[in-house]
Amino acid sequence: MKNFSLLSVLMIAVFGFMTSCSSSDDCHECHIALFDADGQETAEVEIGEFCGDALEDVENAGYQLTEMLVADNGDTLQPGLYTDVHCEEHADHDH
Amino acid sequence: MNLKSLSKTLIFTVLIAFCFSASAQNSGTVQDSENQPIDNVSVFIADQNILLKTNKLGEFFFESKLPNNTYLNFYKNGYVSKLVKYKEGSEFKVFLKKLHVALDEVGVVESYSELGNTKLTNIDKKSLENVFLRDNSMVESITQLSGVDIVSSGLGIQKVVVRGLSGMRVVTYLNGMQINNQQWANDHGIGFTDLGLGEVELIKGASALKYGSEAIGGLLFFKDSPFVSNKKMNGYVASKFDNSSYLSSSQFGLNWNKNNFFFNLYGQYSISSDYRLPNNDYLFNSRFNQNAIKFSVAHRYKNLQNIFRYQYHNENPGIPAHAHVDPADINIVDITSSSFDFNDAYKLLTPYQLVNNQLFNYNLNYLSNNLKLSLHLGHFINNLQEYEKWTRPAFDLTISNTQITPNIRYKIKDLTFNIGSQLSVLDNKNNEDERLVPDASTLNVGPYVILDYEKNNFGFNSGIRYDYKHLKSEDNILNINYDNEFSNTSFSSGIYYKFLDNVLRFTYSGSYRAPHFSELFSDGVHHGTNRYELGNENLDIEYADQFEFKYQWANEHFGFVLNPFLQNISDFISIVPTDTFISSYRVYNYKQYNNVEIKGVEMNLHYHPHQLHNLHIEQSYTFLQTKNKDDQYGLALVPANSIKTKLLFDLNDYERLVKYKFDYLSFYHVYKFSKENFAEYEELTESYNLINFQLGLKLNNKLLCTIGINNLLNKEYSPHTSRIRGVAGGVPNPGRSFNINLKYEF
Repeated sequence: MKNFSLLSVLMIAVFGFMTSCSSSDDCHECHIALFDADGQETAEVEIGEFCGDALEDVENAGYQLTEMLVADNGDTLQPGLYTDVHCEEHADHDH
Repeated sequence: MNLKSLSKTLIFTVLIAFCFSASAQNSGTVQDSENQPIDNVSVFIADQNILLKTNKLGEFFFESKLPNNTYLNFYKNGYVSKLVKYKEGSEFKVFLKKLHVALDEVGVVESYSELGNTKLTNIDKKSLENVFLRDNSMVESITQLSGVDIVSSGLGIQKVVVRGLSGMRVVTYLNGMQINNQQWANDHGIGFTDLGLGEVELIKGASALKYGSEAIGGLLFFKDSPFVSNKKMNGYVASKFDNSSYLSSSQFGLNWNKNNFFFNLYGQYSISSDYRLPNNDYLFNSRFNQNAIKFSVAHRYKNLQNIFRYQYHNENPGIPAHAHVDPADINIVDITSSSFDFNDAYKLLTPYQLVNNQLFNYNLNYLSNNLKLSLHLGHFINNLQEYEKWTRPAFDLTISNTQITPNIRYKIKDLTFNIGSQLSVLDNKNNEDERLVPDASTLNVGPYVILDYEKNNFGFNSGIRYDYKHLKSEDNILNINYDNEFSNTSFSSGIYYKFLDNVLRFTYSGSYRAPHFSELFSDGVHHGTNRYELGNENLDIEYADQFEFKYQWANEHFGFVLNPFLQNISDFISIVPTDTFISSYRVYNYKQYNNVEIKGVEMNLHYHPHQLHNLHIEQSYTFLQTKNKDDQYGLALVPANSIKTKLLFDLNDYERLVKYKFDYLSFYHVYKFSKENFAEYEELTESYNLINFQLGLKLNNKLLCTIGINNLLNKEYSPHTSRIRGVAGGVPNPGRSFNINLKYEF
């Protein structure tokens, strides 16, 4: 009986581990990626934080830029739909 | 005495004789050369996967009669192990010779192997029972074998390399089932951990006929720990912590049996953050988490045994060193973090993988005298999702594989026949429109015959296998309509001769590998490797021939093994970069080389000094050279030559140290030579030294502890076979780290 009680506790603990899931946050900072003629990413233009359905829309359909923007590398982005949107996080380097 | 009394006496005598013979058939004893009983000897009933232990009187008992010619393996530290064939009727007494040194055996060790006769076939074995306590991971533990290396990016993603070959060419089996988990890519790991595993057997090269011809590089056969025949439930709980990535991992195991019914249950949970480099930065997104649970049930009834196993494994590794530029142009500052935040350190970040594996295994064995009939049924389901975006995967693949393997093993005097076949049905399905590889299915049929002959000090084996593979792919999204058949014959043959303490073995094997659907039809971005991968529909079969020689010599203190080999592979399939970019990723094409040569030599030294019996020194040398005969370069991802040295110092002879619970000290040193022969797009890798240290403690009879330091010298190095060797000039492996591991056995 003692052995079965121990077994039950262990199994519950195991299933507790198994059902604990790792989920990512719903909100993420996104940017428009700019590429050169060789297909290499040359600049990023931040477009803010997106969550839930808005995040899904911007990742799948792209971002509708409503006003002209100048990127850090000097490129000008005209208003329009930009489909190369990335919302991944980056390494944080202080030095 | 009248007739009635005489009858009673006779009946009584017969009954006594029957009882005596019945108990003699259900038990045995183990003694040393002075007829003293040996306790705690492991008695492994190999054909039934059941483990017994001898008691204080050297006795062991099994629940019901064993069939004739059942193999039993007897072993205990400090004694020469023995493989015995059971013969019913006579008293079962086994004698084990005490070793001159207390630690372990030097030289050829007699043991049972799933992969074949260990005298006639070159089979390496490694125990995995204490991997959780003593090693960083199962794959890193296996790399201690000569000729074996690793492709990895931290602990989250690891693959085995055997004699310079990996991926599709190193086939993995788990309890008799082939593991198909999209192993064609370097960012797809092995698919399971050391949880519940007892041992791994390895054949290098193509000699594993029974398990398929595609294992041109080698075959790894992982086996669960055996069922334990014991009067009470036993098991363990274990936990480990490593400060390189703040890894925390826990395992438990339970073994229980009643009469002829056996049950094993295991579980594991692991979580790890990004690993720390020698300069104290962290490799961003090298984190992972893993869960696993497995159980096995076995039942014996007379000569029949049924075993059912189920295993569920989930892992979520991050994909480090990801960027939207050519990997060679990445700045290491952009892929490493200087700070560590416990609040965020374990969260899943894109890109990452979600991997779920389920394995169902059923074995039916029938043993009778010289005959063993076995039937294996297996079903493996792998779901792999790779996320570069948060809300939809870049691809979502489910591969399911059903395998049926009947086998007949029959012994006639000194000959053993294995006749069988393998039927495998595999289905690869995309669950999303976006895809890298197409929907595809394969049907494989592979009948084989293997003959072993062994008498006194001479033996030979020979085998032949015919494989038929039907590959079909209908994919409207990638616009593929493909239907093709591949068939060929594989051979393996070997000779063995033992003269005094010298053992010589020569083997030849010829095999083939049909192209995989990933090699034929890939067309898309593979975020895990920072590539755009393009398949080649015109790829044809690879053919491999391997010649191998092995010489072994051993006495009580010293053992030596020399193992040169030569392998030729024609129509070798490889993936190579181009100067083209699509969607910011460099395009890699699959192509075929006419002829590739792989040759090398492996050596092992094993030494116990006479003056210091508690010191064990083991050294292995691996020298490997690859040549692509189509050009002046070598092959990609081939490990550098290496010398691996292990020193183990048993402290149990020193009372003062035992008083403080010290059990052993160990040092593991790896010297990697510089890698100067490589593929056209690779770079030279400098030589380096790596030292790991471990202190073993025996806190009491049930509680074991190890404290270790990895990369003691905090060496900054990037192995030639690192997945991220070509990124930012080579991303270093972890720097110095401390770990503590505990295991409580009950």
